[in-house]
Amino acid sequence: MKRKMGDVLLFNIGAVIVGLVISACMLLFMKINPLQVSALAVGKILSDGYTLGEVLVKATPLIFTALAFAFTFKANLFNIGAQGQFYAGSIAAVTLSLLLGDVLPNPMLILVVLAATFAAGGLVGALIGWAKARFSANEFLISMMSTYVVSALMQYLLRTILRESKGEYLQTDPISANAYLATIIPGTRVHVGFLIAIAAAVGVWVLLYKTPMGFRIRAVGCNANAAEIAGICSKKVFVIAFLISGGLAGIAGLTEINGVQHMLLQDFNSSIGSLGIGIAILANGNPIGVIFAALLFGFLNVMGITMGRLPGFNIPSSIIDLIEGIVMICVIASYFLRNYVELRREKKLLKKESEQSC
Amino acid sequence: MSTPVVELRNISKYFAKVIANKNVSFSVQKGEVVALLGENGAGKSTIMKILYGLYNADEGQILIRGEERSVRSPKDAVTLGIAMIQQHFSLVPTHTATENIILGNVKGKIALKQYDEKIRTLAETYGFDVPVDVKVGELAVGVQQKVEILKALYLNAEILIMDEPTAVLTPQESDSLMKFIRNFAAQGHSVIFITHKLKEVMAAADRIVVMRDGAVVGNVLKSETNEHELAKLMIGRALDAVTRADAGVVPEAQPLLELSHVSLTRKGEPALLDDVSFSVHAGEIFGIAGVSGNGQDAVCEVICGSQKITDGTITFCGENIRDKSVRERIDAGIGYVPVDRYRDGLIMDMTLAENMMLKTSFDKRWTNRGFLSRKRLSQYTGDIIRNYRVKATGPDEPAKSLSGGNQQKMVLAREIDVGTKVILLNQPARGLDMGAVERIHASVLEERKKGKGVLLISTELSEIFEMADRIAVMYKGKIMGIYQNGTLSTEKIGLLMAGYTEGTEGTEHEA
Amino acid sequence: MLNILYRAIMMSTPLMLGALGEVYAERTGMMVTAIEGIFLMGAWGGFVGTYLTGSTACGLLLAMLCGLLTAALYGVITVYMRQQQIVTGTAINILAGGFCAYFQRVLFGIPTSPLKISVLPRIAIPVLSKIPVIGEVLFRQNIMTYFAFLLIPISYFVLFKTSLGLTLRSTGENPEAVDVAGINVNRVRFLTVLMAGVIGGLAGSFYTVGYLGMFTTGIIGGRGWIAFAICFLGNWNPKGAVIGTLVFGLADALSIFIQSVSGGSAFPNELIIALPYILTIVLTVCRKSFNVPAKLGVPYCKEG
Repeated sequence: MKRKMGDVLLFNIGAVIVGLVISACMLLFMKINPLQVSALAVGKILSDGYTLGEVLVKATPLIFTALAFAFTFKANLFNIGAQGQFYAGSIAAVTLSLLLGDVLPNPMLILVVLAATFAAGGLVGALIGWAKARFSANEFLISMMSTYVVSALMQYLLRTILRESKGEYLQTDPISANAYLATIIPGTRVHVGFLIAIAAAVGVWVLLYKTPMGFRIRAVGCNANAAEIAGICSKKVFVIAFLISGGLAGIAGLTEINGVQHMLLQDFNSSIGSLGIGIAILANGNPIGVIFAALLFGFLNVMGITMGRLPGFNIPSSIIDLIEGIVMICVIASYFLRNYVELRREKKLLKKESEQSC
Repeated sequence: MSTPVVELRNISKYFAKVIANKNVSFSVQKGEVVALLGENGAGKSTIMKILYGLYNADEGQILIRGEERSVRSPKDAVTLGIAMIQQHFSLVPTHTATENIILGNVKGKIALKQYDEKIRTLAETYGFDVPVDVKVGELAVGVQQKVEILKALYLNAEILIMDEPTAVLTPQESDSLMKFIRNFAAQGHSVIFITHKLKEVMAAADRIVVMRDGAVVGNVLKSETNEHELAKLMIGRALDAVTRADAGVVPEAQPLLELSHVSLTRKGEPALLDDVSFSVHAGEIFGIAGVSGNGQDAVCEVICGSQKITDGTITFCGENIRDKSVRERIDAGIGYVPVDRYRDGLIMDMTLAENMMLKTSFDKRWTNRGFLSRKRLSQYTGDIIRNYRVKATGPDEPAKSLSGGNQQKMVLAREIDVGTKVILLNQPARGLDMGAVERIHASVLEERKKGKGVLLISTELSEIFEMADRIAVMYKGKIMGIYQNGTLSTEKIGLLMAGYTEGTEGTEHEA
Repeated sequence: MLNILYRAIMMSTPLMLGALGEVYAERTGMMVTAIEGIFLMGAWGGFVGTYLTGSTACGLLLAMLCGLLTAALYGVITVYMRQQQIVTGTAINILAGGFCAYFQRVLFGIPTSPLKISVLPRIAIPVLSKIPVIGEVLFRQNIMTYFAFLLIPISYFVLFKTSLGLTLRSTGENPEAVDVAGINVNRVRFLTVLMAGVIGGLAGSFYTVGYLGMFTTGIIGGRGWIAFAICFLGNWNPKGAVIGTLVFGLADALSIFIQSVSGGSAFPNELIIALPYILTIVLTVCRKSFNVPAKLGVPYCKEG
């Protein structure tokens, strides 16, 4: 069992490194020396506290969307709608913050918004889960489409009800400072949301592996038939799994609105949903692993931005998506490689054993 | 001695965790019927799959008609005149018989009607009654097998391999298949059939090759051996007969489980259960015999609650449980050992401990203030491993790394615990070696002694006759009759299994 | 009104092509979840090819090549490496997004005004385009639409009346049976995925070369997924795919029309934009009988 863990880590880390190397080679197309640029960027990140803090800031919402995908993945369900659930949470966060921003004291306000974002994301998730339970609908398609629907709703609200008083752009007014998530590391933008994310990851782990409910979710995910015969209602599990999953993605709304952006913009953080999937895969679905994988992706994100800001080179920010995509592909390929190597190893062992016994 | 039509020389095959074939060598003559005999897991299927090109041998040679040949795929095998009919048919259920037979053997535009005619003629030549334009998934299993055989005949097979062909047939259908095999061989073709049933071997084979643990342990002519010898070769030791102590115990008056006029129908389909009535009493083993697929699975499903009946009542300990959920029935004391332990019995990727908790996760006994108590669960599982002598490294071993027999023991242990009043067993011995079967039967008899009611479903008549107090026979969802064990002959039960009701023996099927 | 119908047929074209390719792939058991990425790569390839050579034909060829290569990557990972199809597709979609954006920069830098290419011309078919109503709507389209028209009956015929079709359909229902018949299951699946990639790339290029005349990274906007959904909703049958496509094409055309008319009023034209997606959800939930290929999404694993 231990050796398997070691294998997983080895191959995954190896895959990430290979992915980074391939991505770095993409810089050659712009006639830029990848080593030079990478060194410069990494150097800048490590030397500047603010930039280093940005890694945690970027990782925070990714932890939530990755947990969202991983959670339903454990139930053998596919929640591709984390982006939409995040938007739902964001809408709830900004609405409540604008309404109650100066009414409630900060800690209470944050708690209220936390509950609301979880509820908003959870509602969208539960609807998807219910459609799956009641109609055996394909949750992959529905969750995929739900993101576009929520996105359209958000655009409508931004254009009408939630629109800023100036009426110039498609965005809301900024929320009052009383609604901000407190900064925890001075000199950076790192906020309480990061701690909430860590707590959420630990909470998910405890839920999945230490409680009967989590056991039932995993049982349905591994073998829904056996679970049903054992008296576990898989339909209930579908709804609960999607509710929690959506809720987790919704909380990212709290961290991004109240912790970073302080207002709602159109199309903001538009890829954290899909990146969450990649992170969940890299972490093998393990909630604690998600924290580290999210930190890695946060680091890649910051590195991309830093490279883009390096004077003299004109590196586009789109290199970030390219890097992340390449790393994800390499990790998936490494799964295959690991299984193949393991199989060969076992076969060789068996052959040796039989030769010795003959 | 003429050149054998097939010769296997020193074939070895290794899989990830097991040596499937060790230095296997034997040959088959033209016009000969060879039975490949052995317990489950002996390696018989593997060696035949190698001959048919589905697997590639790690060592050894295959010689066809004296020449060494490379058989890397079924296509190679078919070119050499070899065809194999596997236990699980390689048929596409949503396609017709014709479409299945011409798959891979036709080019370009398909003139379906033409091929329908061709296949129909072929079927008639061999006396097979096969509708060629019906979706194969809608055909009875015995007919599906005929489609598979037609496929082989269409490809002009000269060497026919059959893997456990009678597993899904009634005794009468088995007889007719054996006749076909002998006729086919008489025409100069060769047949190799894999089986673990001694009676079949003595009836149809010319020669018997016995395998055990991946190696050939016997290669004898039928005329030189008998069932007893073969059994000894198969398991490596003499078998202790399981005796039924206190046979003929009078069951209690009040039944524990009672099904009354139970029907299960789905729109537009033939009834899965048709007016089924029977009862299981405390301290008795109630056996249900029949070819698989005649409603036995449905009986288990409506009792355990995973399917809702459309008519009738189910009473458990006097209470009507028709609307009770699966979980409620488990709590009430119904244990269920399903036929397919991979799909329904165990979660293969989870540990043994987690599997033991599968049906009782809602129970307070595993939790400590809401969180799972690993210690308690480990202890419980460890006790089971010890008491049932399961070959496992511990409670944290994943279920999938256990052998079939040990997996079944874990399921049985759990169901004995859960089933405080009634235990349902659906083909508990399927796919297990004789040793494991012995132990499972012993456990079941123990539970019967404790006063529990046992429902035992089996396709093996020997098991039914050995274990049951009363026997029911099912055919197409109906109970054909309920008899006291000892009053049924094999011939009679075979007729019932094929749908002949009492008093109409040898004539038409019942209406 | 006629204009809306005309646009409906036009907007249906890429969905039709994408859905047909997807039907073939899914019939063999492969869900091409990378379809959004394939569409995007096709759109980009079409744009780049046309811009650099001035010829729309070259653009279309490059689009098909881009689609092919993207599908090849997807196919290797899901067919031969047997990895999870939904996860791999998502990864490729992200990769495609980054790839197009980045290499657009590499090739063209940051242009001061959006780059434009010439669009596929409308070709009026001699006699047929004179028919009142139908002629105007159906037979004054561009060449890609005509290709889609042809592809529908051809794909139906191949799938249900030929040996190739029988093999494809059998592969999705019971790959073991196909294996036993001596056909290489993985090769069938991989080649079908490649074909879906070629057609998907062509479909994606419709948005750049066939309609908009320029490239933005958001140009596909989820329409690859709609083609994917149409395959489901059309019951894995070219006939059903046609109906589904027309419905969505109509919704798409309507949304553009209403947007141009209402502008920035309080009318929730976002609702119209969201209509295709809401429609997909509703239909997915309501669709009862399905012809799902039994082994859809399951990698084929041969022991030994």
